Amino acid sequence: MVNKALIIGAGVAGIQASLDLADKGIEVYVVEKEPSIGGRMSQLDKTFPTNDCSICILAPKMADCFGHPNINVLTYSEVQDVAGKAGDFKVKVLKKARHVDEEKCTGCGDCMAKCPVKNIPNKFEMGLGTRRAIYLPFLQAVPRVATIDAEKCLYLTQGKCGNCAKICQRGAILYDQKDETVELNVGAIIIATGYDVWDPTPASEYGYGKYPNVYTAMEYERLICAAGPTQGHMERRSDQKRPQKIAFIQCVGSRNVQLEHPYCCSVCCMHSTKEAILAREHHDDIESFIFYKDLRTFGKGFNEYMERAKKDYGVVYTNSDATVQENPENHNPIVVYDVAGHPEKKEVDIVVLATTLIPRPETRKLAEKIGISMDKFGFLESVDKLLAPLDTRVPGIFLAGYCHEPMDIPEAVAQASGAAARAAEVMVVE
Amino acid sequence: MVTIDELIKDTGAYDCVECGKCTTVCPISNANPKFAPRLIVVKAMAGLEGLAQEPDIWTCTTCETCSDMCPYKVMYSEFIRGLRVEAVSLGVKPRCSQHGLMQNMMRMMTNPGIKQNRLKWVTPELKIADKGEVFYFTGCLPQMSIIFEDREGVNLLGIAQSAVKIFNRAGITPVVSNQEVCCGHDLNWAGDEKNVEKLMKINLDMIKNSGAKKVVFSCPECLRTFDVDYQDMAGDLDYEFMHISEFVADLIDEGKIAFNKLEEKVTYHDPCRLGRHLGIYDAPRDVLKATGADLIEMGRNMKKSACCGVSAWVSCESLTKKMQLERMVEAVGTGAKKLITACPKCQIHLRCAVSKEMPFEKEKADIPIQDFTIMVANSLK
Repeated sequence: MVNKALIIGAGVAGIQASLDLADKGIEVYVVEKEPSIGGRMSQLDKTFPTNDCSICILAPKMADCFGHPNINVLTYSEVQDVAGKAGDFKVKVLKKARHVDEEKCTGCGDCMAKCPVKNIPNKFEMGLGTRRAIYLPFLQAVPRVATIDAEKCLYLTQGKCGNCAKICQRGAILYDQKDETVELNVGAIIIATGYDVWDPTPASEYGYGKYPNVYTAMEYERLICAAGPTQGHMERRSDQKRPQKIAFIQCVGSRNVQLEHPYCCSVCCMHSTKEAILAREHHDDIESFIFYKDLRTFGKGFNEYMERAKKDYGVVYTNSDATVQENPENHNPIVVYDVAGHPEKKEVDIVVLATTLIPRPETRKLAEKIGISMDKFGFLESVDKLLAPLDTRVPGIFLAGYCHEPMDIPEAVAQASGAAARAAEVMVVE
Repeated sequence: MVTIDELIKDTGAYDCVECGKCTTVCPISNANPKFAPRLIVVKAMAGLEGLAQEPDIWTCTTCETCSDMCPYKVMYSEFIRGLRVEAVSLGVKPRCSQHGLMQNMMRMMTNPGIKQNRLKWVTPELKIADKGEVFYFTGCLPQMSIIFEDREGVNLLGIAQSAVKIFNRAGITPVVSNQEVCCGHDLNWAGDEKNVEKLMKINLDMIKNSGAKKVVFSCPECLRTFDVDYQDMAGDLDYEFMHISEFVADLIDEGKIAFNKLEEKVTYHDPCRLGRHLGIYDAPRDVLKATGADLIEMGRNMKKSACCGVSAWVSCESLTKKMQLERMVEAVGTGAKKLITACPKCQIHLRCAVSKEMPFEKEKADIPIQDFTIMVANSLK
């Protein structure tokens, strides 16, 4: 019986589970694919229904997690294989080479200032911002260690440049670092790998990718975030003009059999409401229009949040799905919607698509390797939906968060604590 | 004939969440604000009486832009067709254009004793047969070529002749039969299911007797009727049904035909029955490219292709011209020299709009239309 746990995925659910277990004295490994922990919550501007600054409430947990004496965080790493059984799992983890010494780097940023490879689309900023070949994914990244993108680095691909090694006062650059495989021995595993944002380009009726001023909701979060690529100034793609009319279209990809995601992604009625409220908080003259199939604001206080948006923030809700055209003269999107069976058009400045959230392909691969069942969309299934919702059919392996099923942050955190308790049972029970 | 309840179940109308996405893309809705696909379903679900007598059920062109977009894949056009069947059974007379000539002609063909003279278009150098592996179904091309004899810019017999030319060039002698009767498409979509069944029996017997395994159509409406509607009525049929564009695409893959690259600037109109109803978008394009054509796509292409405005001769009304002219103007706007379409009906309907009495200058909407089959035949080496 090994008194250690592994958590795969360091978003808010993974971080919560790690803290719960570590505080109980159990040693925890956290394996995170990205160079920083934090996950999706670190990308959001504010969280509903409290409109808290997302990274402000997450970062202390990120710091606690990384600094906790019982937690070993392996970032830029991926689980390759799991063998064994509950109480005694042998896990192979690939630690990808970031070519920077994690012990020496202080995140001072000297290297990034000198890197000549610029304008690489930054995944954290959903492509709205850029980074360099050596980078920190975002300002509050934990660990605050630079990472070199081996495919873009001039030294690693062509033997040229070498600026970062020359400028680094700590000698932290390790061009020769190799990927490393480590083997972990743990008693229980929690999978908390979260979601991907679906790319709405194939649904050409929304014009995403064709019309410059059509955004996904996650792109919008980065656009209005004060720490985002435009410092919270909502400069739209076509002409950097600040929008005054914003249309939100719900259920883009979700609740849609044609586009093969018939499920409801559970959060976008609330997050579009939140985003509309935030727009008005930025500028008094912004009018927001939300086009919905149904308003699913079902949590405690959620309907009141939506009513506040209507009354106090002037958000206009229209019960209709919509498609998007464009005014070619000024790239203003035109929303076409249905009012009692008549098509109506509304010209706006930007359209925000509440795109569906989908399970990650990497999670699918992992689940197939480990033998965890998935539904046909790739969500990981529990062994008993009603009475053991966090247990997978592999004893000792548990679920938390969106990789399990669509849910919001409070539910993901609750599932994380639940999964931590289940994991602890495996190790503490004699 | 099914009840409204069965119709709702069969077409998935029950799944409609009334989101209105169909309305936003319906070409009729955009021209006539009183019509919306979902309104009819809403009324049916609410159990309203007299639905079959609603004039609006004849306005829909059954182009399926709505059901293609519907998040829940509600089959609106099947729902409309079901309502039309009920309407006809209650004695409602559909408003057929051409004074009902087309439907009456089709009904005449249900008479097993009818004597037809359908093969005068077969010129001496074209080789056809009574029996063979491949059957070429001409549909109503012979009759319509007479009815639309004086419509400017329409060439229907050329389609049949071009098709046989293509077969022959590839070393195939297709079966072409004088016994052919109308496939029944326009009766099917006008609510007259009984006569479609009669026509089906005549056609299926004819194909069986020919020994053919493969039936090729130059008309997507005939293809849809055989492939979808006949098999719905008669069960699985053991033939391969294909559009001539698919057949030619296969011939190209097999190296059986070659083209003189004509390098004409063309644009292509996806017919509703070929595109949205049957999902055939790539074969015609692949073939056009193989002929060396410079294909310029219209904005509303493939799944978003704009309907030619009329279906089954029942939905022609005041806003039809508007839809047709918009489409023609769109085609002219691509800068192409020709508009290619793979459906004889689209050709007939779109050319109907371009005449002396138009609301603006003729050049804005006048572009020659050529059938896909004729273009391919003209490009053959």
